[in-house]
Amino acid sequence: MATAIFEQLINGAMMGSIYVLMALGMVLIFGVMQVLNFAHGVLFMIGGYFAHLFFFHVTGSYPLSVIFSMLSLALIGIVLERAIFRALRQNLPMQIVASLGLILIIQNGVIQLWGPAALQMRTSSVSSLVKIGQLSFTVQHFVIIAVVAAAVVTLYLFLMRTRLGTAMRATSQHPEAAVVVGINPNRVYSITFAIACALAGAGGALLGPLFLIFPQMGDGPMLKALSAIIIGGMGSVPGAIIGGLGIGIIESLSTLAIPTDYRDTVVFAILILMLLLRPWGLFGVRVRGEY
Amino acid sequence: MRKLVLSAVCAVALIAPAAYAQEIVTIGIVTAQTGPLAAPGKFQMNGFNLAVDQINKDGGFDIAGKKYKLALKVYDTHCSASEGAAAMQRLASVDQVSIVLGELCSPVVSAEAPLAQDEKVPLIITVPTAPDLTEQNNPYLFRINAHNGQLTKALVDYIRSVDAEPLAFIAWNNDAGRGGVNSVKALLPKDFKTGYVGYFNVGEVDFSSHITNIRNSGAKAVMLLMDEEPGALAIRQIRDAGLNVQFIGTLAMGSNRFLKALNAKYLDGMVQYSAFPPNAPIDRIKKFNENYRNKFHEESHGFAAQSYDAVYVAVEAMKAAGKVSGGAAIRDALSKVTFDGVIGKISFDKKGQASPPVYITQWCNDGTRKVIFPKDMAAGCGAG
Repeated sequence: MATAIFEQLINGAMMGSIYVLMALGMVLIFGVMQVLNFAHGVLFMIGGYFAHLFFFHVTGSYPLSVIFSMLSLALIGIVLERAIFRALRQNLPMQIVASLGLILIIQNGVIQLWGPAALQMRTSSVSSLVKIGQLSFTVQHFVIIAVVAAAVVTLYLFLMRTRLGTAMRATSQHPEAAVVVGINPNRVYSITFAIACALAGAGGALLGPLFLIFPQMGDGPMLKALSAIIIGGMGSVPGAIIGGLGIGIIESLSTLAIPTDYRDTVVFAILILMLLLRPWGLFGVRVRGEY
Repeated sequence: MRKLVLSAVCAVALIAPAAYAQEIVTIGIVTAQTGPLAAPGKFQMNGFNLAVDQINKDGGFDIAGKKYKLALKVYDTHCSASEGAAAMQRLASVDQVSIVLGELCSPVVSAEAPLAQDEKVPLIITVPTAPDLTEQNNPYLFRINAHNGQLTKALVDYIRSVDAEPLAFIAWNNDAGRGGVNSVKALLPKDFKTGYVGYFNVGEVDFSSHITNIRNSGAKAVMLLMDEEPGALAIRQIRDAGLNVQFIGTLAMGSNRFLKALNAKYLDGMVQYSAFPPNAPIDRIKKFNENYRNKFHEESHGFAAQSYDAVYVAVEAMKAAGKVSGGAAIRDALSKVTFDGVIGKISFDKKGQASPPVYITQWCNDGTRKVIFPKDMAAGCGAG
């Protein structure tokens, strides 16, 4: 049983890391702009397709493909923010409708461009195995965990130690006061969207080689990331990290005790419990009169 | 005089398309062309298109001295029961087709079949495998492909003949997957040990939880009841996790396309049932494979072969009925029709179920397949 628990801990940490990347992007956008972007899953998916494109047709190098995919997604993020979400700020129902529309447009656009069949991307990190006792994992499992850990540390340093990061935090706390001290909120919004989309792109580019790249690959991670930011606390960066990792590990371990097809049920049961008992989440701030 | 000629030309111009339109018979198609099952839907649609192209290229077909050509009216049901029901209703009432073919998903057939009966429009399904679909006493529902019970019977005989106990399952969490597991279990002896049964939803790609449970159960063989894409993923993840189990697969896992998704090392020794071994040394299959490759530039697929045959069966039924409209007459003809198709001899029993031959193929270590069942059609590596 100890072997099974260890195997599921590694698998859970790997999937949890992917949820963390998604959740961080969603929580940044929500924290700074009060925009809930349900289309984050399709941006994750485009990250996988772009990595495939760059890997096979441009660079031939997997690390460069991940970086180019992130840069492309950052550009797409800026365009989406300027073209769609800036106009819908403060209008949650319209944001939801717009992002649901984006999901349909982008998913079917990808089917038109790349076809409905899933793509494979066999990098050397997927073909190489790490043996631990009787268990065996792909190197990509550990690459994902390491890259996400590095991304989290970098994001923390960016937010806490740079002028731009401070501007983002200031805008999230009080947009009007941020303007008073000379911060251009529109620039901050564009950069926030760019970073969030780049993180989603990284997620797709990291997970794609391990499994498959296909139009619906972002649906599951998006739902789990949304659960993570609600459980962690809407707008809380530490909440997104703990929430994402926690969901990944709990859903993996739960399958040792209950049927595997009930894995999602466990996650959403925790989400419902959290909404009932502590609706502001683990690290969220309780606002007087709000709940 | 000029006015007269002009009037005559106008009259001909008006009448000609009408006369031409009478020669086109439209067949309704329900399938999934977008969404998670768009890939298998493409094979189904390729089969329909290939049959229609060939029939029309050969000049169409004759009924009561009149020549007809075929056209398809296609609705994408997205594998959704509500969209399937809406499409079936529309085909019957708005498009007024006399016969409908297709569907990919068993649960959607459950929504479409009662409408077929109400509207008296025969529905021939070409892919769904849930056994109970043809157990509903619906005289307007026909199935050309073998259902899970038929497909698994041969495979179960194989399982019993090798050291596959305990046997684990990973299956789709839908009628096809759950129906498949139940079919296999029902055919196995009651004391046969089942190691682990895991279900996954369409679109899930991470099989790590199943792998841990299979390892814990001590299973010697794993049966994969799913399509090509998840099948390739599951096999790769199971082998990469260091599990040395015998793989038992389905129709979708005996093709060169499947080999491309993996490699010979991953597949060596795996067995699967097959309604259509594309490289079998059988003339009808070889000819279909060649035509398919010429048109679509890829290896053919069982779903395409089944769908291709369905178009020909529909035409045979219309010929036997002596008319191209009137669903009730075509239904009666369908129940009696016999047709030598690509997948084998097709005729429907009282429940509307056909019984095409089922093959078992096994992967060789060089990336080819051999046919190991039926024994009289067994052939070496390269034949399957």
